[in-house]
Amino acid sequence: MIKKLALIVLAVGFSIPVLSGSSHAADTIKIGFNAPLTGFAASDGKSASEGAKLAVEQVNAAGGINGKLLELVIYDDQAKPAQAIPIANKLIGQDKVVIGVSGSYSGPTRSAAGVFQEAGIPYIAAYAIHPDITRAGNYVFRTSFLGQIQGRGGAKLVGDILEKKNVVIITLQNDFGKSLAAGFKSKAADFGIKIINEYEYSIKDRQFGSIVAKVKADNPDAIYASGYYFTAGPLVSQLRAAGVTVPIIGQEGYDSQKFIEIAGPASEGIIITTSLDRDSDVPETRNFIDAFEKRAGFKVDMVAASAHTAIMVAADALKRAGSTDPEALRKAIAATNLKASTGTISFNALGEVMKSVQNQVVKDGNWHRHSVIDDPALLAPPDK
Amino acid sequence: MLHLELLIQGLIYGSMYAVIAVGLTLVYGLLRILHVAHAGLFALGAYLGLLITNATGSLVLGMLSSAALVGVGGMLIYRLCYQPILNRPPHVALIASIGLFIAMEEIFRLIFGPYGLTYQNPPLQSQIALGEIHLRAAELGMVIAAVVLLGILSYLSQSTRIGIAWRATVDDSDMAKSFGIDTIKVRYLNFFIGSGLAAVAGIFISLLSNLVEPTMGGVPAYKALAIIVLGGLGNVKGTLIASLLLGVVEAFGTIYIGSILDRDAIAFAFLIVVLMIRPQGLFAGR
Repeated sequence: MIKKLALIVLAVGFSIPVLSGSSHAADTIKIGFNAPLTGFAASDGKSASEGAKLAVEQVNAAGGINGKLLELVIYDDQAKPAQAIPIANKLIGQDKVVIGVSGSYSGPTRSAAGVFQEAGIPYIAAYAIHPDITRAGNYVFRTSFLGQIQGRGGAKLVGDILEKKNVVIITLQNDFGKSLAAGFKSKAADFGIKIINEYEYSIKDRQFGSIVAKVKADNPDAIYASGYYFTAGPLVSQLRAAGVTVPIIGQEGYDSQKFIEIAGPASEGIIITTSLDRDSDVPETRNFIDAFEKRAGFKVDMVAASAHTAIMVAADALKRAGSTDPEALRKAIAATNLKASTGTISFNALGEVMKSVQNQVVKDGNWHRHSVIDDPALLAPPDK
Repeated sequence: MLHLELLIQGLIYGSMYAVIAVGLTLVYGLLRILHVAHAGLFALGAYLGLLITNATGSLVLGMLSSAALVGVGGMLIYRLCYQPILNRPPHVALIASIGLFIAMEEIFRLIFGPYGLTYQNPPLQSQIALGEIHLRAAELGMVIAAVVLLGILSYLSQSTRIGIAWRATVDDSDMAKSFGIDTIKVRYLNFFIGSGLAAVAGIFISLLSNLVEPTMGGVPAYKALAIIVLGGLGNVKGTLIASLLLGVVEAFGTIYIGSILDRDAIAFAFLIVVLMIRPQGLFAGR
């Protein structure tokens, strides 16, 4: 029985692509989307694809692109670079998408970016943070912060806004955690921060007993800890359970209601740097949050908002370009100036987004606005 | 002081590993199968424990019923997956086991969703002070459960008829059969106990992190393999000692060499070093 069930599950799993959108007719405009729908990153894949589907529905409900409807072609890349290359080829060669959007992590996004650049089809990374992604070439764009940039924002938050000077860094051992730590360290001295110690952990860790014991002995003023909600939740609750009461500063990886659920009361007062402002009164952000929670049935997170933003940027460029010619589309994306759920989006020469950092804090079991970092010099992305 | 805390953390990790790895080494001792899907049962135990605890409000009920259900699940895996291929070479069962494990992870994801589940009112979160050392009740509970459960197991295997029958079957299955021992019953019992223990470990681990996720079996799946190799394949005592040793090495390693080797790599580096010195494992197996 179990074997049969397993076979059925496997069969279902392989029956990709998952077509979404109201129409499969020939006169739709196709946007390709890769996200980790299975495997360890499946939760982010789910949020990303829900955010992307919502964006497509909203565009189509408002009349589509110059009379044509958008269609989203979604593939599961399992967050694996090796999966992303055949997917990118399939999206370009077989599905004939006019723009690709990555709702995935840095590894697969980097792999796919090279394929899209080679084919001369625009590709937008929604929340992957590795600096080399946009360096694939002029057809590749990113609508979220680089890890380094967000790390710099973190240093300002800790040293300047919170005025904490003796800091322990706890780093997730992957490109996300490492680039955040690098950004934080690069600006730490500017804000008077002294880094007492740094520890690293693997993405599979959920038990942090020994790091917690050591941090307690270090007795810092604040802790800058990178991670995703599924590592940060246990880490924060274990730190608090051991009696560590100093501020803990996280980043967009924490940005999910699930973090608050896992850490429980320990999540109160945790501050993160992210790109979604829950208390925003900007209509684009407000409408997105309300529509997402109604459609998905769970609370919004940064990944969903980022995927939504990336699709909206693609749709906006399609409208302005007035055609699906790749070069015209590329130019239209490069000239983007769009208010979206994660802020006002425009790109520099490398295709990196320029926007402010939203600091959010957990209050009474929900994310709320703490402060905003709007410092173009500090947050300037690299332009080559 | 710090070193004492790290040592205690290591023993907590170690007792966690021991409860998981014992079931695995029991299966290997009896059938010569590397039972990777054991880690899937560990995750299943965590899911059932959480769901029953959330529904009834009783952790004890959640733990007992989860252990019993997962024990039966282990028996089913033996009957439906391993028994039909027992006469094939060992790698056939290994491949079946890996496939089953991956399928289980994805079935958990399809049924329970990709985000993971949490306890509504996480039990055993109060702090217990032992002198200067502060432990969470769940950490202490993990250690106590390991000592009690493995103590009972040791008593059963040494001093009861069924335990003697079990050891005889492990030693020489044909000979045991000729003495009238029901070796099939022994196998079912073996899977029941090993899987039930994995469920208990799964529940305690999810109490420490307040998170039950589809991929939570991923780390135990291969770390437990390293442990039973270290302990001398099929050797229960060796497995227990290897678990505690690895726990302590990891607890210190995370702090002192964590930036060079991550925690999971430490387990395998330790394995390689030990096997270089003692190729038969810390304790000779069979």
